[in-house]
Amino acid sequence: MILRCQLAFFVSLFAANLAWAGHSFENTAIVRTVELGGASVHVTTAFAVKALEPKSSVYTIALSKNEHQKTSWLEVRQKGQQAVLPLQPVLLDAANDAYIYKVEFSKPLAMNESVNLILDTVQTHATFPWPEQAGQTDDQALKYETDLYVLSPYKTAVQRTKVRALSPRILSYTTPEGIEFTTENPVTKSGATVTYGPYHNIPESSSAEFVTKHQKHVTVHYNHDFPLAEITTLKRAAEISHWGANLNIQDEIVLHNAGPTLKGHFSRLQFQSSTFYNRASPTVLNWFTLHLPAGIKNVYYYDQIGNVSTSRLRAAPSVPKSLSGNSNQYSIMEVRPRYPLLGGWNYTFTLGWDAPLSDSTSFDSKTGKYIVGVPVMTVMPDAVVDDAEVKIILPEGATDIEFFPPFPAKNNTISTHISYLDTVGRPALTFHYEHLTDKHNGIIYVTYKVPFSAHLRKPLAVATGLIGLFVLSMGWRRVDVRLDTKQKL
Amino acid sequence: MSDYSVIQSLHKSAPAFSPYAPVGLLPYLAFVLLGGTFVLAFYISTLPKNAIPIHETLVALLASALGGFGVVALFNSVGVYV
Repeated sequence: MILRCQLAFFVSLFAANLAWAGHSFENTAIVRTVELGGASVHVTTAFAVKALEPKSSVYTIALSKNEHQKTSWLEVRQKGQQAVLPLQPVLLDAANDAYIYKVEFSKPLAMNESVNLILDTVQTHATFPWPEQAGQTDDQALKYETDLYVLSPYKTAVQRTKVRALSPRILSYTTPEGIEFTTENPVTKSGATVTYGPYHNIPESSSAEFVTKHQKHVTVHYNHDFPLAEITTLKRAAEISHWGANLNIQDEIVLHNAGPTLKGHFSRLQFQSSTFYNRASPTVLNWFTLHLPAGIKNVYYYDQIGNVSTSRLRAAPSVPKSLSGNSNQYSIMEVRPRYPLLGGWNYTFTLGWDAPLSDSTSFDSKTGKYIVGVPVMTVMPDAVVDDAEVKIILPEGATDIEFFPPFPAKNNTISTHISYLDTVGRPALTFHYEHLTDKHNGIIYVTYKVPFSAHLRKPLAVATGLIGLFVLSMGWRRVDVRLDTKQKL
Repeated sequence: MSDYSVIQSLHKSAPAFSPYAPVGLLPYLAFVLLGGTFVLAFYISTLPKNAIPIHETLVALLASALGGFGVVALFNSVGVYV
């Protein structure tokens, strides 16, 4: 899995003639399926690979620069196996303007042996609304642009691309002209799927000559019936309290409707009548459902004006930590922003809750370490988070801090956070992420130690304050502050 | 990524966190400790004013210790998880 951030991987240049220093393969078939969503697009490419030399174990996948920039999550696995195949750090082939991913198979292939590889990627900001403006009750249409041919450094016997939208209302799609690789129709549409292909006998396609000579751009213009939600910034703070055995998680979210911007005025009357007759307009983001963890209490939802009461929560009872890995117990919260979000509108709010610390933290008595698992974000289905900051605030006096993020962050910092009854301050770990999708549903693990004396720091701080008061009172008792000493007390 | 899966399985297998004082008891603990602090503070006010206030200081120390824990328990029981 990789993120679309330059700091997370190193990029190296090498000449084109050294590019294919890996083993040689042949693609018997490539099928790319593009599932068009709203803000995020899932692209699954299935490679049927045949080895042309014995003991082949490293396969090269190429992505064009455009595609690489849009990809925010990438995973390769062998068909039929659960385990993700290890990827070597991505390389830039500057001569051909392509990004190279080298994949290692779980076991090397013999001569002429075949294997099926599945490359799963999620692209963000790959679709844009077209027309760019729409009225309140109009339909929402998006455009998706991609390259016609899947790039590969090996020869391909047959290749096809299927673009699938959620509804069969596809307004238009490009019909490519002058395709040498097929004698039939270069594109067909059936229902909600537009199929480009099959194209036969494509040579090595990740070279610059192929791209300039043959590569074409195709655009699919389709109707999308659900509002496009985008979280511009997410600031998550997870505060751990050992005395109160509590984990407080607070999300500060800036929500943006990334659909076509509103043309004209917002008519409350029209809006009320459409909600009354249950005709949900796809350009209006009215409410959304969040799956919060089980066992939460004291949930708060407020914005700059104050508490937002338009939400419903059905809390699920607490799940013991040993079962938490495979639990499908969620607290369901139906969140309704203070106002409906029309195209281009933003809404800033804060959502937070308390959860028992025993649900997410364990104590390893052999090493004396506490291990806490904090989820990176609450996934909003089909929404993209442009910029996320996750801050984990450990108890005062935590030492030996180690962290294990599920995917590398753009930036990690350790700082000191000061909160109630703190003397020294608490260590806080901050992780910066970009372009998170619903596949980035991971848990950050942090291990730390807190000595017993650090636990006593807070009561000691308060006790010191009280002793000061008592000393003051002892002095006050012994001083005579009467103005007139002749008078009796 | 094997580091991550090692930590993940350790996290699942290690026993869950348990606090020094059970959370349900915290409000009652707060009441008892702060009540004790108040009573001792009143008692201090009745003590004679000696030149070397040993008794007073000892009672003050005890009262502050009780008050320190009591305030922490109070904060936790009202929802400010310190």
